[in-house]
Amino acid sequence: MGLLESLRNSFSRRSDAGGSRANEDLFDDDFQRKLDYLAIVSRRVFAGRMRAERRTKKTGSGVEFADHREYQPGDDFRYLDWNVYQRFDKLLLRLFEEEEDLAIYFIVDASGSMAFGTGDKLRYAKRICAALAYVGLANLDRVCIVSTSDRVMMRMAETRGKARIFKVFRFLRELESAGTTDLGDALKTFVAQHKRRGLAVLISDLYDPQGFERGINVLRYNKFDPFVVHVVDKAEEKPKLFGDVLLYDCETGDEREVTVTPKVLSRFREEYEKYIHDIDRFCATRQVPYVRADVSVPFDELILRVFRRGGFLR
Amino acid sequence: MIFAGLGFAQLAAIFGIAGAAVVGLYVLRLRRRTVAIPFSPLWQRILKDKDATTLFSRLKRLLSLLLQLALLALLVFALGDPRAAATLVKGRTLVVLVDASASMQATDVSPNRLEVAKNEVKAMIRGLGGADRMLIAQMDAMVTPLGPMSGDTSELERALDQVKATDARADFPRALRFATDTLRNVELGEIVVVSDGNLGPALDASGPVHLGDDKLSFVSVGTGKRNVGITQFSVRRYPLDKSRYEVMLEVTNTGPEQQDIELSLLGDGNVVDLTKLRLMPGERLPRFYPNLSGASRTLEAKLGNVDGTHDNLPADDHAYALLPERRRAKVLVVSEGNTYLEAALLLDEYLEVTQVTPVDYVNKHGGGSGFDVVVFDRVTPATPPRAHALYLDPRGPGSPVKVEAELTSPGFDKIDRKHPIVRFTALDDVNVARGHKLVPDVAAGDKVVGSFGGTSPILVAGSRGAYKFVALGFDVRDSDLPLRVAWPLFLLNTVNFFTDEDARYISSFRTGDVWRVPVSTQATEATLALPGGATERVPVHEGRAVYLGERAGFYELTAGDTASTPEQPAPISGANKTAFAANLLDAEESTIAPVPELVVDGKTAGKVEGFHVGVRREIWIYLLLAAVLLTALEWATYHRRITV
Repeated sequence: MGLLESLRNSFSRRSDAGGSRANEDLFDDDFQRKLDYLAIVSRRVFAGRMRAERRTKKTGSGVEFADHREYQPGDDFRYLDWNVYQRFDKLLLRLFEEEEDLAIYFIVDASGSMAFGTGDKLRYAKRICAALAYVGLANLDRVCIVSTSDRVMMRMAETRGKARIFKVFRFLRELESAGTTDLGDALKTFVAQHKRRGLAVLISDLYDPQGFERGINVLRYNKFDPFVVHVVDKAEEKPKLFGDVLLYDCETGDEREVTVTPKVLSRFREEYEKYIHDIDRFCATRQVPYVRADVSVPFDELILRVFRRGGFLR
Repeated sequence: MIFAGLGFAQLAAIFGIAGAAVVGLYVLRLRRRTVAIPFSPLWQRILKDKDATTLFSRLKRLLSLLLQLALLALLVFALGDPRAAATLVKGRTLVVLVDASASMQATDVSPNRLEVAKNEVKAMIRGLGGADRMLIAQMDAMVTPLGPMSGDTSELERALDQVKATDARADFPRALRFATDTLRNVELGEIVVVSDGNLGPALDASGPVHLGDDKLSFVSVGTGKRNVGITQFSVRRYPLDKSRYEVMLEVTNTGPEQQDIELSLLGDGNVVDLTKLRLMPGERLPRFYPNLSGASRTLEAKLGNVDGTHDNLPADDHAYALLPERRRAKVLVVSEGNTYLEAALLLDEYLEVTQVTPVDYVNKHGGGSGFDVVVFDRVTPATPPRAHALYLDPRGPGSPVKVEAELTSPGFDKIDRKHPIVRFTALDDVNVARGHKLVPDVAAGDKVVGSFGGTSPILVAGSRGAYKFVALGFDVRDSDLPLRVAWPLFLLNTVNFFTDEDARYISSFRTGDVWRVPVSTQATEATLALPGGATERVPVHEGRAVYLGERAGFYELTAGDTASTPEQPAPISGANKTAFAANLLDAEESTIAPVPELVVDGKTAGKVEGFHVGVRREIWIYLLLAAVLLTALEWATYHRRITV
């Protein structure tokens, strides 16, 4: 690397701290082939369902059995399939279909921190969003996407039909990471703008200085069914830092002089794990489906896992 | 406290400037590397404790600054070379005379006395005080200072490493005079003699050596006394039979015990004689070997104990000598025919005689070039030959001496009997019918060897340029000289006079003397091959190569080119190379019993004292050590994040 290039990089370090890959097409042919595959898988998961029927995650209110999903702490014991438990020694929850129209809202966190990390979290979030949206569209659900930071930044109007996936792609391509994170305020705006309740998929790194709980609670309190996809980057857990450094928050701009020692790094890791654990526990105790999406895992594998767990679509 | 280096004001200025720079750099500090993070609240949580210790952190930073300033202060202080005032005043000036004479090669202590002596001096060097200065000098046939007066241990040790043993005796008075001259006007001067003590009296041609106020210390080296050495060795050819020679040598037992030894004599490397001898303590035994033959060049004598062991000093167990080179003299006879002359020259087998007519002499033999001697029988060339010449009845302008009136019935009324050309001859009653008076050139140094009536020289010897000549003022056929024994003797004496070896030829030089070896060219420099194989350039002064020899063995001197000039004769083949031998041959040096005490100028040398190994009274060394220690401490604390 030449001297001029290194100087330019050092001067521009604050502007592209995350190192985004804006020029690369997120939704190329290969991506779309994977989406078709996911759609097939999703149909198999939801076999027996009537086409164009609307589904909701309100288990128990319907009468027609739809599927099983794994038991998660906090689920209602009444829906456990004891027969399956007797035969396979597995705790599975019986899910019933309700003949109800379903709206799926994808809330993509596009704050500054989403551009951070080795794997580019925003890029990963876009792909998850696109995949899930495609599955939704393929199943004739209403899909709406909004991007947030400390407010609702962009909104894609509700749409239906598989052919609209390109509209989804166009919308997602235009998303750029910027601004600070305030999920509470942003989602208050979101619930005010969307009177029709439905599944609200929050795809975010949950780095909210006011607390990640606020945003999820806003969805819960306003009768949305929140589903949290927590995008994480392992590099954030183990930052490669040592010595005298000036830490710079890429969202807020806060600066802090720190001398990083192995002891400090160890404490940071403990704190990070505690933070992740807090999120996990919060969602579990409030029956909010929660999926941790590591950017190092291929997104299609993650999506399949979501289907397998059955917590997202039925 | 005294600053031997920079002064206090200079030190203060340096510290002020450098200290300001350190503080400035400390205040500026290096800019920290900026690292972006996604979520600072996580870091804030773990850094809460750090905030509580900010004051302590500042204190630690202050400690770091103080460490830097302390380091700086130590280094600046070291620049000043601080010393205790008392130490500076009491610094000694030492001249250490290390005996490197032949007796120091004795192996009674391991590995030999010289190495032990060097170890003793090395201990002294390491025990020097901070203000002490030392000069190391090698003492052998002369005294050689091996470095400057210095307090630097490494420099002194390098000087000490240069001390090498020689085969010469030590010139103790010269070494003492050198030491006293060096210490003149020096306070606390001290002469340290490291030797086995066999140094002889401190007395030379200038009288006894006076030490003045200088202190004399003596370090005695060696324990053994057992030694038998060759103390005399010479060889010479018989004058009348140069194929034979005689050898004289002397063997001395300098030890306190009876010794049975085996003495072998080698000629050209072959054993000529082997003798077993018994020597009583202190006995000197001369040996004479007459009428030896079989060796043409080198002779060596070797000593060894009968039981196969060796005595303590091997340096004097081997002696070398060279016989003068013996070669055939090339004689050119220019004559119309002279039976007497031819017959006489046949007597000596070492003469290679060529006879030519006067006509052929000029045409074929180039004026005598390439011959040692030219004999002109009743012929005198127009130009003098390029060789030594014997003129029998010279005539004309080519004669080396002026030929005057004819003499009737001249005779040898007056003879210079000491001249070599008339040695063993009886010329008084030679009858001569007629001859001519020769007029010698007194200014050229001609000598009248024989004259008629005291006023008419008839036999003259001298030299023209580089060539000798002898002129006989009558034709031998006009006399009864050829019928006498004196005739061949005269001829052979004359040839020998021209070609014989230098009468001052010596079969070997003594080590420790300045040798003046004759060279046969006009070169101002010559190359000397030493016994060990090394070569040295030596100056040539007044026809002699000058060299202080300190090694026993065979030498070969090669001098300049081989071109000849009328003034300088062309050397006969190989004559530009001169070989010679050198020997110790010193009974006193062969006496190796160590002397426990040394007395000079009426004073007994004291013991060496005041050297404490490992203690240098130079504070700056400790200051530097402290600086290094502090640097290590700072390094460790920095990398363990104690002072950051």
